[in-house]
Amino acid sequence: MTMILILALVTGAILFGIGVYGALSQTNLVMIMMGVELMLAGAMVNLVAFWRFLHPEAYSGQMFVLVVMTVMALEMAVGFGVAIARFRAKGSVEMEEAEDLKG
Amino acid sequence: MSAVLLPILPPLIVTLAVLILRRGSAALALAGATLSLAGGVRLLAGALDGQAETLLLPGLPDMPLRLAAGPMTALLSVAVATVGTLVLVYAIGYMKRESGQARFYAVMSLFLAAMQALVLAGDWVLLLAAWELIGLCSYLLIGFWFQRPEAANAASRAFLYTRSADLGLYVAIFILIGSSGTSEIAASLEAGGSASTAAGLLLLLAAMGKSAQVPLQDWLMRAMAGPTPVSALLHSATLVAAGAILLIRSATLLSADTLLVVGLVGGVTTVAAGIIALAERDLKRMLAASTASQYGLMLIAVGAGVPLAALLHLLAHAAIKSSLFLAAGDFQHAREGTRFDRLAGIGRTRPWTFAGFALAALALAGIPPLSGFFSKDAVIAAALSAQGAAWLGPMALAGTLLTGAYLSRSLRLLWRGTGETEVVDGSAWMRTGIWCLVILAVGLGLAFGPVEAMIDLPAPEAAGVGVVLSGLLAAVGGLALGWLMSARRLLGPIHHWAESGLPVAGGLTTLIGRPVMAVARGCERLEGRLYDAVLGVGRAGQVVANYVRVGDEHGIDGLIFALVSGVRDLGARARTLQSGLIHHSLAISAVATAVLLAILFSASLSV
Repeated sequence: MTMILILALVTGAILFGIGVYGALSQTNLVMIMMGVELMLAGAMVNLVAFWRFLHPEAYSGQMFVLVVMTVMALEMAVGFGVAIARFRAKGSVEMEEAEDLKG
Repeated sequence: MSAVLLPILPPLIVTLAVLILRRGSAALALAGATLSLAGGVRLLAGALDGQAETLLLPGLPDMPLRLAAGPMTALLSVAVATVGTLVLVYAIGYMKRESGQARFYAVMSLFLAAMQALVLAGDWVLLLAAWELIGLCSYLLIGFWFQRPEAANAASRAFLYTRSADLGLYVAIFILIGSSGTSEIAASLEAGGSASTAAGLLLLLAAMGKSAQVPLQDWLMRAMAGPTPVSALLHSATLVAAGAILLIRSATLLSADTLLVVGLVGGVTTVAAGIIALAERDLKRMLAASTASQYGLMLIAVGAGVPLAALLHLLAHAAIKSSLFLAAGDFQHAREGTRFDRLAGIGRTRPWTFAGFALAALALAGIPPLSGFFSKDAVIAAALSAQGAAWLGPMALAGTLLTGAYLSRSLRLLWRGTGETEVVDGSAWMRTGIWCLVILAVGLGLAFGPVEAMIDLPAPEAAGVGVVLSGLLAAVGGLALGWLMSARRLLGPIHHWAESGLPVAGGLTTLIGRPVMAVARGCERLEGRLYDAVLGVGRAGQVVANYVRVGDEHGIDGLIFALVSGVRDLGARARTLQSGLIHHSLAISAVATAVLLAILFSASLSV
């Protein structure tokens, strides 16, 4: 049982690490958002693993995961909205060229 | 309008008119003086009818200004106006070639008005005001040629001498008003007691200054630097007379001891000034010394308790001395100077003026039947019958002797010798003035009887034959001595001393001048120190203010500016974090999260 928990936690950690790397190394807005999604996904795997192995009788863990998924969806919607607006205005979603965003 | 203003107002108005119009000043001044004379005559007529005009004007609280025209004051007013008018007639000729006519006539008129106010004043405050005004006018007139240093000097000297003696009048008036509670002259004189003695002595001091009595006689000789009509007016009926008039009017106040002091001052002056006059080498200065000497005689009469004799001599002297001065002014124009060596022999070239001069001189010496004979007789009689007759009598006789001597000496010097004489402009005016006054000087003696009857003063005792003879002997003896012997032989060893004006003046310089100068220097030093102290306080304040300013600029301002710039720098640094690059933001948040985790981790380990 414990091996499975460790596996789940390692999977979550790997996912998170890939996400961090992706978000920091990519220059494309879409790719950065994908990195962010991966980080969230890693965090959710952790959450689910701890729920399953510590308090399987409580439902609040599942509810929390569902809330996080909703937030992910919203974030995607906003992020892609910004990306499209940016692409329409500048013809590119390269964040290296987006210094003017500092306002 | 009360008639008592009539002698005062016309000259006063003329003064203003001359100053405003600045033309026709001589005619205006003459008109003013004539009107003043008419007013005086009107007052005198009223006083003879027993109607003494008085006028109250609003003055100080409880001390109204009071003008009173009693018989004596009205008579004096007429005398002042007469001499003033005739001197102005003369001045039209004398001043013809001078500039500054408006100034001259304006001040002369003011002088006349002030003197009339002084004569007619019925209260001390008005008298004091008039007294100061004549002092001011004499200063302005003596310094008429203020471009000449000696005239400016003489004016200041006259002003300072009389002014410092005037302090006596101030204190005397304060004492009199304080002790009697009224400022009316006649009422305040009845106070009596020790206050009256002090007041009497102080009045004497004031009179000594104005009437140039020893030791304050020096300014009178120097005042000759002014124009001759001024000298004539000053010496006969105005400035110098004011002192004698003051004493005559306040004679009832003086106690026996004070009277003796008055008489002695007069006696010493009449002898000392007579000696100075005998040795004098300048005609006008000789006449000035003679004035001091004659006022000495008047003081003797006052001191002998017979102010009426002094009044008679004052009137006679007014006419005589003004005619002498006017004649001297005529000579001065003819020879451009008044030194006897310049004037030698002028008597032969200007016989009319010289005849007037000689007649007036004989009148002053006391030759009958000229006016001076009667008045001088009254003075000598008073002196011989007075309490201090042992002192006053010989002094009065010596004064008479000296008068004869210096006058005949001057006649001799003017008659003998030769010199060039210039033709003088306007001599008709001058001669008119001179001769009118000479006629007065000759004939005034006739009026003395009515005057004695009119004036409410104790009449002098009828002079005995011995007194008349002794006076006459002194006069004739003096005339003969002066004509026959030179001043050097007459005076012997004291001639040199007398020639320099019996240097009591030098004594005055050491006695009064040096201490006053020392006090003045002390005051100057004190003032300098005070000034330095005040300046030091100011400087210290400035230094403190400077430090406060520096502290303000560098301390408080610096703190605030440092705060401001710190905040601004912080803001600028914080701005660099906000590059606008998402990677930066992400990296920062990742690092921050890592740091946060590390902190939480270590915290959980340590718990």
